[in-house]
Amino acid sequence: MLKMSISQRIAVVVIAVITVLFVGTGVYGLSVRNGAAGVSVIRDLRLQSILNTAGAGSVEAYVAAAKAEATARVRAEGGGMSEIREASALAEEEARASFHFEPVDLSTVDTADLEVAVNELVAAQRDYYEAESAAQALYIEEHEEEFRAAAAAQVAADSEEEVEVVDMVIDLSGFVATEEMVALQAVVDERFVALKASLMTIFPDLTDDVLDTLKPTLLALTYASGDTFETQYDRYVAAAGTAHQGGFQYFVMRNGGNLLTISVGLFILTLLVLFYQTLVRKLGLPRLIIGMFFVLLCLLAVLYGLSLPSLLGNTIVRLGMNSVLVLAMLPGIQCGISLNLGLPLGIIGGLLGGLLCIEWGFSGWPGFLFAIAVGLVISSILGYLYALLLNRLKGNEMAVTTYVGYSIVSLMCIGWLILPFQSPELKWPLGDGLRVTLGLQSSYRHLLNDFLSFELFGITIPTGLLLFMALCCLLMWLFMRSKTGIAMSAVGNNPRFAEATGINVDKMRIIGTTLSTMLGAVGIIVYSQSYGFMQLYQAPRQLGFVAASAILIGGASTSRARISHVIIGTFLFQGVLTLGMPVANVLVPQSTISETLRILISNGIILYALTKSGGASRA
Amino acid sequence: MRDRKLLSSFLRENAVTVMFVLLCALCLALSGLAPSHVMFELFGRLSRNAFLVLALIIPIVAGMGINFAITIGAMAAQISLLWVLEWRIPGTLGFVVAALMTVPIAGFFGFLIGKLLNKMKGQEMIGSMILGYFANGLYQLLFLFIFGNLIPLSNPSLVIKGSVGVANTMDLSLEGGLKYALDGLWRLPFKQALYVFMAVIAVYCVVRFAFSSERDVKRLAVCLAFPVAACLLIQIPALQALFVTVNVPMATFGLVALLCLFNVVIMRTRLGQQFRAVGQSGAVANASGINVNRVRIIAIMISTVLAGWGQLIFVQNMGSLQTYGAHEQVGLYAGAAILVGGASIVRATNAQALLGCILFHLLFIVAPDAGKNVFGNAAIGEYFRVFISYGVIAVALVIHAWSGAQRRKPANAIREAAK
Repeated sequence: MLKMSISQRIAVVVIAVITVLFVGTGVYGLSVRNGAAGVSVIRDLRLQSILNTAGAGSVEAYVAAAKAEATARVRAEGGGMSEIREASALAEEEARASFHFEPVDLSTVDTADLEVAVNELVAAQRDYYEAESAAQALYIEEHEEEFRAAAAAQVAADSEEEVEVVDMVIDLSGFVATEEMVALQAVVDERFVALKASLMTIFPDLTDDVLDTLKPTLLALTYASGDTFETQYDRYVAAAGTAHQGGFQYFVMRNGGNLLTISVGLFILTLLVLFYQTLVRKLGLPRLIIGMFFVLLCLLAVLYGLSLPSLLGNTIVRLGMNSVLVLAMLPGIQCGISLNLGLPLGIIGGLLGGLLCIEWGFSGWPGFLFAIAVGLVISSILGYLYALLLNRLKGNEMAVTTYVGYSIVSLMCIGWLILPFQSPELKWPLGDGLRVTLGLQSSYRHLLNDFLSFELFGITIPTGLLLFMALCCLLMWLFMRSKTGIAMSAVGNNPRFAEATGINVDKMRIIGTTLSTMLGAVGIIVYSQSYGFMQLYQAPRQLGFVAASAILIGGASTSRARISHVIIGTFLFQGVLTLGMPVANVLVPQSTISETLRILISNGIILYALTKSGGASRA
Repeated sequence: MRDRKLLSSFLRENAVTVMFVLLCALCLALSGLAPSHVMFELFGRLSRNAFLVLALIIPIVAGMGINFAITIGAMAAQISLLWVLEWRIPGTLGFVVAALMTVPIAGFFGFLIGKLLNKMKGQEMIGSMILGYFANGLYQLLFLFIFGNLIPLSNPSLVIKGSVGVANTMDLSLEGGLKYALDGLWRLPFKQALYVFMAVIAVYCVVRFAFSSERDVKRLAVCLAFPVAACLLIQIPALQALFVTVNVPMATFGLVALLCLFNVVIMRTRLGQQFRAVGQSGAVANASGINVNRVRIIAIMISTVLAGWGQLIFVQNMGSLQTYGAHEQVGLYAGAAILVGGASIVRATNAQALLGCILFHLLFIVAPDAGKNVFGNAAIGEYFRVFISYGVIAVALVIHAWSGAQRRKPANAIREAAK
């Protein structure tokens, strides 16, 4: 059935055994944690850490008292400042030496009162935080517009650097506590007084003052918003000292979830080893590697406690946002000009459409449609001329398209500086030319994203965007099945054969190139409505490469592509990028490693495709 | 009639160069810069860039087009430079050590590049360009996450506290740096420098005459007339005034001259013949028993090592180094320069490389000021020169592909007539 080498079989068995072990321990850990044992572990640790903190506080109280006594004594004897200081230091030393703090053993203290007090405090805190987050969410909702405007200002200030999607800059400085919160805060304070009382019965040395200074520490210990078993465990172990970490059982309880996550990864690895040959044959090595990398990133995101649903939600948004640009590669590949790295040509058309839309004050759906219409007109003219050029240099398209794309981008850099746009939204307030980053809030920002959007498992689904993507893909699919589309694919596959069967090769190439350029124009408008900004100057330069690598990751070659390649490729590529950044920032904080990752993946896949294209045969 | 035909074919073949000469003249006039200042800048830029441009010739002859992967040679040079700075080897010794270290590193990289480019015959240019981008990712990985983290660096000026990886700028002008390690060896005012170089050329001509079997006196006279004329011309005060600020770094230009000589000499060897044979037709070369892949790998290796040295020359002249940016545009600018000089992606000579270097950098000097004077905005000139760099390459590729297609057309017509 399956052909497997010996080492492959051994690897499968070993990994499978490890997987089973991990699942076993993980499930055991989780079940123990959710049972009585888990509750008691947390309770013990919590009490221990509170006692330790309070105990350490009582030492401070004792030291302070000794110091005060010494100071008073010296002053009574008529000593000067230096003597007072000396005596106080001496007293502190003696006090610390005599009152050596020993961590309290839970079993020797009667903690029943304390436990009740702590539990009530935790409950009160939970109520308070819930009220607070609800009130803040309401506040953010009310002030959404301001925050978005602040984000726009920030992006504009960041100028040419590529900025990640900053939707809102949340500023809570204007937030005022609601009455409900104040009431709940009072409850928390009241319960804290009870806690203080029970602590003072355990540590007679403690005073009210000392406990009041310890209040923030103690409150932070007892409850933090969004507490899970793991965060509580980590916090209490840190406060109670490493001696309380406990043995293997504690470890399993703490890491039960992580063990299960790892075992999912191991299970996928088992499948990978098991069906390696089949997978490589079906998917191709690069797609397999990047797919596995994506899975790895997902698992890492779960392990590091990042919110996977929101990351996947972002991925879906970026899938829709980039899909049309990637789709633009398809007619180019099919008609035989291979990867259309001159996509910036179409992008320029789309940008001009968007600019005219803002300049003439269109907004909403009419604005969006107007921008697309203008973009299509401009890009169809540019695309037609471009196609005529490419028809004269068959076999050398890739290098030429790249440099044509680059030159048009830098030519338009001059264009953006001297074009006679008048709208103050577009121009720099001082000096010449258009802004680098143009906010679209007045025109068609998030028009598609917000259309019929809904929440599902905590992911906001941008229905309109996905529908638009589906529409474009459907139209392309229909076109590819039309007579012209089939003829075009034949030209891309084998130009000589196509010519022999009487297909007009040049005409098909013109249709394909023009279509690709026009889709580039639509693509950038969809991209910018989702991004919220239009970026001029150098920004369009790399978009051709991003689109090309996405379709190649999806499984296309430089001469054959399908719509499924577009969707799979965009999802994988954008998924790796969206997940890569937060994960990389956990691994190496403050780094640009995700940008490096993008460069490597994007160019690596193009190189791979080039080695497979067997260039010599095309020359 | 015939003259006109000659002229038009000359114009067609050198369209890019002619266009560029006109463009340079126009921008020079518009910029309003003093000619002596332009000359000063130009010689500075020539001494920095000529070596890099000359490094492109061998792969072009070997039929691999413009080797945009010379950026990788530049990266190799920067890796060795980092270690020379780390070991604090100062001045000329440091430069020599860096140059020696560059050889194995760049050679190895060149070997890998060659291996990869052999898998994409016919697409070498786009391949080498993308490879350059890809290598830039690896370079960032190396300098951001390996050097300074996994491999600690002891020189405090190379790392920034509280940040990851090697610092953004490597300053070579500090004590123990490499600034002017080569340029500063021997500088002469332009006039003397001209005498020295012309004397060398004259001696070279005479020696060649003495050793050649033909004893072509006419050729010798022409060869000697050029240096003599140059030495006479420089006596004109107006010309002297033009070059009065120019101080020629003799060692650097000496190396450039040596590289030109190397490019000529290697073409006379067996290896050079193989380059040419492979460049003309891989299939024919293969049939005649040449190991095509090996020859191509050697061409790329030589080019990569030379580019590494070129980058070292560039960097010692600049006096500081943008760790993450200095190499990025090397391939683009060198490639554009050689095409401006009239080279195509299948044919290139030393003279074309040098002429292109002069024209291209002349435009770089004058374009921003011309832009400022005409449009009142220096940024336009900046964008314009970037546009020109890309545009020149695009136009050269188009012209090449076009003439290729036209050459094929008559052949097709003959074939069809034969049917």
